[in-house]
Order: sequence, then C-alpha cells, then structure tokens
Amino acid sequence: MKLTRREFIKSNAVAAAVGVAGISIPGAQALAQARGGDGVRWDKGVCRYCGTGCGVLVGTKDGRIVATQGDPDAPVNNGLNCVKGYFLAKIQYGQDRLTRPLLRMKDGKFDKNGEFAPISWDRAFDIMAEKVKATMKNPDQGPFGVSMFGSGQWTIWEGYAANKLMKAGFRSNSIDPNARHCMASAVFAFIRTFGADEPMGVYDDIEHADAFVLWGANMAEMHPILWSRITNRRLTAKHVKINVLSTFTHRSCELADSEMIFTPQSDLAIANYICNYIIQNNAVNKDFVAKNVIFHKGVTDIGYGLRPNHPLELAAGNNGYPGPDGKPKGNPGASTPISFDEYAKFVSEYTLDKAHEISGVPKDKLVALAKTYADPKTKVMSTWTMGMNQHTRGTWINNMLYNIHLLVGKISEPGNSPFSLTGQPSACGTAREVGTFAHRLPADMVIMNPAHREAAEKIWKVPAGTISDRIGYHAVQQSRMLKDGKIGFYWTSTTNNMQAGPNINGEMLPGWRNPKAFVVVSDVYPTVSAMSADLILPAAMWMEKEGAFGNAERRGQFWRQQVKAPGECRSDLWQYMEFSKRFKIEEVWPADLIAKMPEVAGKTLYEVLYTNGQVNQFPKEEAARVNAHAWAGYTNDETDLFGYYVQKGLFEEYRRFGLGKAKDLGEFDLYHKVRGLRWPVVNGKETLWRYREGYDPYVKAGEGVKFYGKPDGKAWIFALPYQDPPEKPDAEYNLWLCTGRVLEHWHTGSMTRRVPELYKAFPDAVIWMHPKDAEKRGIKRGDIVKVATRRGEIELRAETKGRNKMPEGTVFVPFFDEHRLVNKLILDATCPISKETDYKKNACKVLKV
Amino acid sequence: MNISSVIVIPHPDHIESVQSLLREIEGVEVHAVSPEGKIIVTLEVEGDRATAEIYNLIGHLDGVLSASMVFHQNESDPEALISSEA
Repeated sequence: MKLTRREFIKSNAVAAAVGVAGISIPGAQALAQARGGDGVRWDKGVCRYCGTGCGVLVGTKDGRIVATQGDPDAPVNNGLNCVKGYFLAKIQYGQDRLTRPLLRMKDGKFDKNGEFAPISWDRAFDIMAEKVKATMKNPDQGPFGVSMFGSGQWTIWEGYAANKLMKAGFRSNSIDPNARHCMASAVFAFIRTFGADEPMGVYDDIEHADAFVLWGANMAEMHPILWSRITNRRLTAKHVKINVLSTFTHRSCELADSEMIFTPQSDLAIANYICNYIIQNNAVNKDFVAKNVIFHKGVTDIGYGLRPNHPLELAAGNNGYPGPDGKPKGNPGASTPISFDEYAKFVSEYTLDKAHEISGVPKDKLVALAKTYADPKTKVMSTWTMGMNQHTRGTWINNMLYNIHLLVGKISEPGNSPFSLTGQPSACGTAREVGTFAHRLPADMVIMNPAHREAAEKIWKVPAGTISDRIGYHAVQQSRMLKDGKIGFYWTSTTNNMQAGPNINGEMLPGWRNPKAFVVVSDVYPTVSAMSADLILPAAMWMEKEGAFGNAERRGQFWRQQVKAPGECRSDLWQYMEFSKRFKIEEVWPADLIAKMPEVAGKTLYEVLYTNGQVNQFPKEEAARVNAHAWAGYTNDETDLFGYYVQKGLFEEYRRFGLGKAKDLGEFDLYHKVRGLRWPVVNGKETLWRYREGYDPYVKAGEGVKFYGKPDGKAWIFALPYQDPPEKPDAEYNLWLCTGRVLEHWHTGSMTRRVPELYKAFPDAVIWMHPKDAEKRGIKRGDIVKVATRRGEIELRAETKGRNKMPEGTVFVPFFDEHRLVNKLILDATCPISKETDYKKNACKVLKV
Repeated sequence: MNISSVIVIPHPDHIESVQSLLREIEGVEVHAVSPEGKIIVTLEVEGDRATAEIYNLIGHLDGVLSASMVFHQNESDPEALISSEA
C-alpha cells in the first residue's frame, strides 16, 4: 500500500491519540505498528520542562529531533502532553543558539567592559582557571569566593559532578541551585517535620482522593498533565470536590467546587483555623497522633532574611545573624517541645471570626474546607507550589499544612496526601537528592554534621577534613557577596538568574558587573544572564546529551543522547570535568590536607575526583552493552571524549550515598530500560507510599506508620503564628504585587520564547488588574502603565479580562518576559529558615503613562 | 507542515456542541469520540505560528475543559510517497 508521508504521519497521530483515550478505530493501530517506515527513530525520553516528569517519545531523523509523542507507557502522563511538551521538538533549534565560547574583550584581551568575541574552549578555561586561583588566594575571598549557581535542570550527573568539584575539589560550599528560589521552603519543612526530604505520596494519590485542596497552586496552567488527571478524577467520580485557595482567580478555579480568594499571607491564619476546628470538633485522630506525632513550639522573632543592617533584622532577636557581641542572634529554626494541650491552646485563638477577618474568605467556605479535612471518611490530597514556598514564612506554612494532615492522620496512604509539587524537571532528583545546596550533601546529609562529612569524604576517596564545615553562600547571599566583592568567581548554568532572581537592580546586576568578580554563564541561548556575564560557554541541551531527572514523586528517569549538539556546544558535565584538569591538587588544597593522603600529590583535580577508580570504572564499550536493547552501538559524547562510560560511573558512585538509608536508588542499567522508578528502590522494586507498612520496605511488620526520618519515628507538629509580611500596601504603594507564570512559557522563557508558536501565543507580559483598580487610576484595558515598587519600575500593558481575574487590591505580572523584568521590583526578603525569596507579596503602585 | 493529534475533553453537557465548533476550524479533523466524550482531533497546519493559534482556539472553545497534545511531527515533504510495509 502506497501512501503519502502526510497520511502516514496522520494515521500515527490518530493511533497514538485513540490509544491514549482508550478507544479503537479499525485499522489505526495496525498502521501505527508499521512505524519506522518513514525513517524516524523513536526512543523514550523525559520532558525538559516542569517537575511533573512526563514521559515523551522522541523521534529523530537525519540527526535532528522531528517529532515527539506523549509516552503511552509512561505512568505519569499515560500518553498525554501539555502544550509546552508538545513543542519540545523545537527548543533545541532556536535561531540564536549559542555555539561558541564568547569572552568580553578589548584589544584581544579580557576586559570587563569589552564586547563579546569568540574564543576557543582552551582560552576560556585558561582565564577561568586564572580567576579561580586568584580568588582562592585573595584574603577577602578565599575558597568560598569561588561560587557556583546551578539548578533543578541539571541532569543528576551534572549536579553530582558540580557538587563534588566545588565541595571536595575547591573546598567551597558556595554552590546553590535556583531551587532555592523555588522550593527550599518545602525542603526545610520536610526536614523539620519528618527529618527526611520529599513527599511521602505519589501521583497515584490523585485517583484515590475524594477531595483536592490547592494551596496557592494554579495547576491548570503550571502542571497541566497532573491537572488533567485531577479533571478526570473529578468527572468520573461524582462525589469528588475541588477546593482552590488563591490570592486571585485563575484557570484552576474553572473546575473548582469551592474557590477561596484570600488576602496575601493569610494562608497562615487559615491553616491554624483548620487545626483549631479539628481540635474543637473532636476530629483529631487520637490513636494516630498518640503513636506518631510530637508537638513543638517554634521561635517567632526570626526576621525576613534581609541584609543584616536592615531595620527589620536589627530588631529581630532570632534571625541567626551576628548580634552586637558577634555571636549569632538565636536560630530561626529553633523550637521547644510542648504538649498537645499547649498546642491546642495556641491555635485556639485562630477562631472562625479571626480567620475570616485576616483572610477575607467567607465563613461558610472556611467551615466547609475545615470539615473536608476533619471528616474521617474524606480522603484529601493537598497540593502546593510557589504560593506557599515563595513566602517569608514559607517553611512555617509548609509545616502548618503537615500539622493539618497529621492531626487527622491523613497521610502516607492512597488518597490522603500532602503533596509538595515542584517546578523543575530535576528539582528533586538533582537539587535536593544530590544535595547541591550550600548546606547539603547527597542523600539528605548536611555539611554541618561531622559524621556526614566523613561519610562523603570516604565515598569520594578524599582525605578527612576536605569538606568545610561552614555553610556556603546561598542564592540570595551570592548576589549580595558579589556586590560586596566577597565572591571573585561565579559560574552559573541551566538557569537564568539575572531574570529570575530578586531585586535585580539593587543587588544582582551591581554584583555581576563588580570588577572584583568574574562571571561565567553556561547557556544555550543569549539570555539576560548570558548577556550580563563576562564569559559565555555554549552548552548542549536535553537530547544532545545523556541525561537523568528526578521528578516530584521521587521518580528517577533516564534518557539516551539522541542527537549531536551544534557547533562547539558541550554538556555542563563535560565542562566541569574538563575544567578540573586545569588544577594541580597543590593549587587548591593546603599541604597538611595533602599530607593525609600522599598518593594524591602531583595529581590534577580531574584525576582525584573523576579517574578515582570509581567514576572511570566502566569502559567505553559498557555504553553500547547497557543500551543494546535500544539500538546497536550506542555511545554518547562524554563517553567518547573521556574514554569511559562517565554517566554510569558517576551515578554508581553517587548511588552509594543513599543505599540502606531509605534513599536507595536502583542500579544504573535498570533506569535505561524502565519508565522511571520511585525511590527508595529496594531489590529492584520501587516504593509508592513512604512511612506506611505494606508499601515502604523500611517500615517493619507491625509498625503501621513510622516517620523514620526522626530518631523516635515521630513527626513534629509545630505551633507557629500568623505574622505580617515585611512589606504591605500603604498609602503610596497601595497594591499587592504578585508574580508568577503563564501556561505557554516556562519560567524565564529562555526556551519557550524561542519556539515561535509559544511566543506568538503569549508574546509580552501584561499586568492583570481588577477593572475597578484600573478605573480608579484612569487606566483602560490595553493601556501602557507603569508599575513601581521601592526598588524600581517597569512598563507594560494593562489587562482587566482573560485568564486571571484579580480581586481589588492585587495585581499579577508574569516573569517570563526579558523585556519587562518584573524581578527588578521584588524585595530580596526570604524565609529566614529556608532563605527562599517571597516573589508573591510586594507593595506596588500602578500609574497610567 | 505540523501534523499533530489532540485529545479534547469537553464538559459533559457540551460534547456535541464542542464537536460542531471543532469541525468549523480549518485544518482540524474530528476522528472519534470515546463513550465518555473524549474527542480525538488532528491538526494539519502549514507553518509554525498558525499551529499555536489553532491550539489556543481549541483550548478556549466554549465547553472545553482541557485539550492535551498526544503526537506531533514536523514534515518537510508531506506529499512524498512511502510504503507502509517498510
């Protein structure tokens, strides 16, 4: 049978869709089985965008990605894709792709004020090595002045290689991921409440829940595939109810049975009211609480993560900053044990009246929400993302959500699930599990704990005392230290911090352009960050390298390198490893450290860190053997360039950190065959619900529930109050400014804005505002307006209709648009515990231009 | 040419009307409807930008709850003949 390519492709498209929808059209499936006839090679992959971790099948023809399909065998998305995933085939092929290293130069030499000009990789590494060595010797800077900023878009081995290079190689803990801006609050709350990071549940909870509560998450736009699963649950099980808590009306509200628009910051009061309701109405699951929970009261006078000389910090008694005597002023994370009765008394002041007064949510809706949690027959899944995490009390509100679920025992079982979602494809897999934060090591270990440092040094085969016991500079602090001249070398990749970070004009740009700092940006496109750098390194992306991501439900997923990167682009992994060859160990470690392990003398960092008998233990041929089931003779660029199967060696070394500690990952080879595995992976089997007997291999028979992250197996409920944010609307700056995303663009738009379809769908950022707020200021829909805060101003068009409906008093601006940098307006105030910036609550004014 | 398939989920009260609206869009073809009302649609659109406009249009039709992509392929020579047995 002859047919045109168009007919053939269309029949494939139909067959794929009917398969996913679970219906049959005669002939369609048969045609699809003839796949391959059009010369397209298909292989499994993982979406490059959000933390959902959808499986995609990737079609390659003539060395180019030409097609993608939602992977019908992927349990996450069952063959569906959202609009961003749909255009994955195109993100690698933007017209302005960076393909050569570019250095700011004048008269053939580096000049901070010069113009970008192409140079070789060799010269790029020369100047980088020179700057690193100078920084380490500079008494104002030292090893911690060598600083790195990565992301939850690093593949697992990229983050691991970077973490090792920084913490063991350069002995600097000043490495942090952009996940600091994204879900550090979730991390710190997980550790505080459970002693272990990441959700206990899985996406399967969606199909078991009777009620959903979205706490400041617009899943319809930000996690569309998970939203389609929730939609499906709502439509197929008639009793299911959806509750949406938000500071404005968005797409997710269209399907909501109860929409609750609350005053910014008042989620703290709502959460405490729900706990109070549960206690007052005898809905506490007493057996569960007695067996599995203890109570603590947290310190409250914790400041706002601002610079230490800010008046709010001078007044704070527990912010951990040095006091007049030079000693730290308390610890913002501190708490003391209390009894259940003391906790009950503490939340008793959060009455219905008070919660209503602070939040503005109608009383009947608050009562109905509290009943949803209190009713023992209703299984509740709570989901949240930036609304709760980007919060100056972000750790608290995360803790308070767990308070609710723990009081009623609705946790760690199908359908009862407090579920912290993530925004990046490997926020969990790389940023959190690999421990690329300034205070972390792999597998939930921390640099402050001597036993953890010792364990890491043993696995890495470096001398005792290599890893510093001092916490490095976190994301916001990196900006401040750049501005203050304390960081001399700053290398960032897989993120666009000059657009995504807070207070761009006040803190960030002055730091990057400080003559005392040398800034390197590895990137794929000329982002705002790349254009603000001193040196740009062209990176390989997505299917141009072998990769691994870990999604929000603890699922690790691998893919093979499908195509070559253009020009001189190289993966971040190659960049870190190749760069490490530029350092003799004597140039980065003191003599007394080397004396503890004389065999490292005279070696390069590359030899000490990577050809250590572990990372290089799998020969080149291993890549073909492991992946033989996919195609014959497989290899990848790093394996060819370094001469061994780099990814397998790094992963197998990394995996040792978590084995036997309830952080077990599976064997490398297995991930290349399956559609991901959720850790802990014990005996090749994944774990769905953690802490629950029968599901979690770490909970023994007869134990029922055990929160084994804590020594006594008990989770902590925290007594924490409502507190005002550092800035509220006043007479001059009289509106709340909230920032965030839109469906068509992913974060700063570095990738999605290169796809013409997505750019066209949503070209320029607008400011959404209530028609009355517009009218009061003489503004009509479509007018250009000026939005100003105490940090700066931007101009954009006003929108009073469409997908976001603002309440009076609050405006919303998305941050994807590089020509309208809303983060210039954002105060760099953070949760003092997690150091995560609050991008949701600034005071602004809006004026007609 | 961009050839793609989309599953459209209409509100249960609008299964018929959404199909009628879809059939009016150029380049859109309705292939099947599942018993619970999921509509299988293909898009065949010349040029990149029009694809996004049509996708947005579908997502915003009255009665549509969600529109999810399933398959997408870019084909530079759509009228070339191939053998399906190959």
